[in-house]
Amino acid sequence: MLSGPARTTTAVTVSIARDPALVRTVRLVAAAVARRTTGDEDFVEEIRLAVGEACALLVGPDGDRGASTGPVLVNMRIEDRLRVAVRAAGSVAGQDPPSSDIDGVEPWALLRGLIDDFGIVTDADGTTLSMSWPLR
Amino acid sequence: MDLSLETRHEDGHTIIEVGGEIDVYTAPKLRDKITELVGNGDYHLVIDMEKVDFLDSTGLGVLVGGLKKVRAHDGSMRLICNQERLLKIFRITGLAKVFAIHGSQADALAER
Repeated sequence: MLSGPARTTTAVTVSIARDPALVRTVRLVAAAVARRTTGDEDFVEEIRLAVGEACALLVGPDGDRGASTGPVLVNMRIEDRLRVAVRAAGSVAGQDPPSSDIDGVEPWALLRGLIDDFGIVTDADGTTLSMSWPLR
Repeated sequence: MDLSLETRHEDGHTIIEVGGEIDVYTAPKLRDKITELVGNGDYHLVIDMEKVDFLDSTGLGVLVGGLKKVRAHDGSMRLICNQERLLKIFRITGLAKVFAIHGSQADALAER
């Protein structure tokens, strides 16, 4: 754990296959990165939830990946803020029509509610979810 | 930690004690358990989430789906949860107003 503001930029990138079983691994890494900035476990939990949620939305549920292939890339950087970008090629589950399982739960509601600085950018190469938090 | 599911019957309700993480990987197991119970005629469910370490929107979706299933049979689904980090997720998504959330099994079973 760093004392005070981060003195050097820390950057961690994780690439996972679109396998729901691997999302938990990303959550563990996200929590470890968050702990480099603070001892506040509530903050660490928020990062773990948000990064896991973003990753899960791009990975999609098992058997519901459609034509989407390729890895999901998660980049976490400790700069002036803790910045996280989650990127995947192709369409993403969160933009598909709701299945019966998520009917009634707007897929992005949790992320939008959790994070003040949250953005979605879709281009020809894929979709990127960006989020950041002030350092504590 | 994987997902653990233990089921028992009490006072006219079927209690599912859930432990571990409910996420995009494990939520289908909970969905299948609820589907199995409803298929067996268990329409009054109590989901005990006291031992749940993690919940994402996939898990929320399974709970909403379960609620719809039991309501289709005039049943009920009550949740037991007093962990603030999980309650926050229900509040953010507006589902705190959709589910009956209780602090203990005794409270959940006492409600008529």
